[in-house]
Amino acid sequence: MTSVRRAAVIGGNRIPFARSNGAYAEASNLDMLTAALDGLAARFGLAGVEVGEVAGGAVLKHSRDRDLTREAVLGSSLAPTTPAYDVAQACGTGLETVVLVANKIALGQIESGIAAGVDSASDAPVALNDDLRRVLMKLNGAKNLQQRIAALAGLRPGQIVPELPRNAEPRTGLSMGEHAAITALEWGITREEQDELAVASHRNLAAAYDRGFFDDLVTPFLGLSRDSTLRADTSVEKLAKLKPVFGTRGKNAAAATMTAGNSTPLTDGAATVLLGSDEWAAERRLPVLAHVVDAQTAAVDFVHGEDGLLTAPVFAMPKLLARNGLTFADIDFFEIHEAFASTVLATLKAWEDPAFAEERLGLDAPLGPIDRSKLNVTGSSLATGHPFAATGGRITATLAKLLHEKGPGSKGVISICAAGGQGVVALLEGA
Amino acid sequence: MALGLLYAKAAATALGPRSSTLPDTVVRRIAAIDRAHLAAYARLCGFRFGDAVPVPYLHVLGFPQQIELMATRAFPFALPGLVHVRNTGTAHRPVDAAERLSIAVHAERLRSHPKGAQVDLVTEIDVAGERVYDGRSTYLARGASAPLAEADPPGPQPFEDGPPTATWHLDAGLGRRYARISGDVNPIHLSPLAAKAFGFPRTIAHGMYTAARALASLDGRLSGALTWDVKFGKPLLLPSVVQLRTAPTGDGWAIDVRSEQAVHLTATVSEARSG
Repeated sequence: MTSVRRAAVIGGNRIPFARSNGAYAEASNLDMLTAALDGLAARFGLAGVEVGEVAGGAVLKHSRDRDLTREAVLGSSLAPTTPAYDVAQACGTGLETVVLVANKIALGQIESGIAAGVDSASDAPVALNDDLRRVLMKLNGAKNLQQRIAALAGLRPGQIVPELPRNAEPRTGLSMGEHAAITALEWGITREEQDELAVASHRNLAAAYDRGFFDDLVTPFLGLSRDSTLRADTSVEKLAKLKPVFGTRGKNAAAATMTAGNSTPLTDGAATVLLGSDEWAAERRLPVLAHVVDAQTAAVDFVHGEDGLLTAPVFAMPKLLARNGLTFADIDFFEIHEAFASTVLATLKAWEDPAFAEERLGLDAPLGPIDRSKLNVTGSSLATGHPFAATGGRITATLAKLLHEKGPGSKGVISICAAGGQGVVALLEGA
Repeated sequence: MALGLLYAKAAATALGPRSSTLPDTVVRRIAAIDRAHLAAYARLCGFRFGDAVPVPYLHVLGFPQQIELMATRAFPFALPGLVHVRNTGTAHRPVDAAERLSIAVHAERLRSHPKGAQVDLVTEIDVAGERVYDGRSTYLARGASAPLAEADPPGPQPFEDGPPTATWHLDAGLGRRYARISGDVNPIHLSPLAAKAFGFPRTIAHGMYTAARALASLDGRLSGALTWDVKFGKPLLLPSVVQLRTAPTGDGWAIDVRSEQAVHLTATVSEARSG
């Protein structure tokens, strides 16, 4: 085995993200992932090329898509001898695939790899009613007529109602938005600051599109050339008119602040990132935008403990910085996934809070405030939308390009919260 | 006119006097692709749904015009009973689903055949004056006659035995599902009774479904600019279990679809050859 090296981020390709039941209503995860992979292959001359591996995944996944990523590779222009596997870590999936591929490159196990993610809220799996499923499995296992009749006796009219996918935590029964509303209340996040963050996201994304920033990161798909959630002309005044949709029940209902304007909508889309060793990139005459320096995951006990569902990155970030001898002052770009505006703001508040730093993070001093002009400078999920597993790839390619523009040695961090009380953060350095 | 009505008209005019020569009509239409329809086609045939239009779908787009041309008394053969024996096509470049297509269909090359007479229905698709697709569907009218004897090139042959690439389990309802999407509502694909009336023991699969599904198995291995040549063999009765075989050739692939009883389809596909 060779010594550890840093994996290079060579580039990325994604399709524009579309609001669910919109432009991609008829497209499956496999369609979108294949399109994103083919676009990446076209961009970087990978048609017929055997890449070290492709790691991908989807949060909402049909049972027929067991090996979704491998199926996408087989239908793509990549060499069919390219191995692939699926990863699942809720909304952390996309960034986790980047970490996995980068680590294999770092260890010399592969020379190149693609990290990918896709999700469709429009073509989501609808499962058989679980009682009906059990009856059918019994029927399938029945060895004689008597057993078959016994199995069929378990049929009930109510079983015709299928299991629809719900954006809810299995252990708490609360939707992600309801969980985020609890955290927003806890940290005293105001409606105004959430709306301001949302407006900044839309304006930054629109400006980035206008200056051609995404020209080599996004390939049009099914008639879309920009993310359909993007509202370049939105304003704090417009967003202020929206009614709260989360945290609207119970004794704190009057204090509800989260609206459709400061929460990400359900979205369809796919994103890919091309990684490789510096040598592989040089051999193929490909640019190196940035290097993956390090990554950290964390998880919180949001079920019985005191932490909010989407707060795990709060704990991951200080570990990542400490291990690399960095403080917020060293960071040029902060990419904090905007699941909800309130999630970003609560995360920032936690990092600024001296008591929280001491009691919960075990730090002498808080990480401190971040310069808002360095936060999500080309927009984030509130404006792009958030096809769960595709977000990590979108952010990684975006940050790598920002760092490349900034110059060698520039540094950026990515922070992504995920269902199940998990979080993934990563550190990239410009090349 | 809806295709079902055209078939009804064709059935009504199946008997009686017909022209002995081909009409010189060109049936034209301008078409925008309905993405939901394309998605349904892609799902059924196994293509990925995206912006690139699968080449067999270009045939589907011209099919209503073929029927329109063949359903009149000016066409020398009655539509019911015509057998699709061969289909060739060249997509000169990938066609994007957003493009506006000018589709023109005409009939040519009426010729005799040992089993009757054959005619070609030619589909030409242009985008803003640029030819993007040339397709040719050859139909056999059994027992009919035509003055000219003109030999067709032999067409793709079954290749030497090799292991199957895939096994397909084709169910009894496949003909109805493909009919709904393609508009090819020829009764032999729809109901066993109708199939019996035309001498088939059960419904038969659409040749263009089998061909499209075979081509879809090569998604990712071919560019959108390709030439294919499909020869239909014995009718594929539904339900059936059949095997797809593929073998690389110098510049593309050889394909066949066969069951234990017969060879149902042989095809070649390669990067686009113009002319």
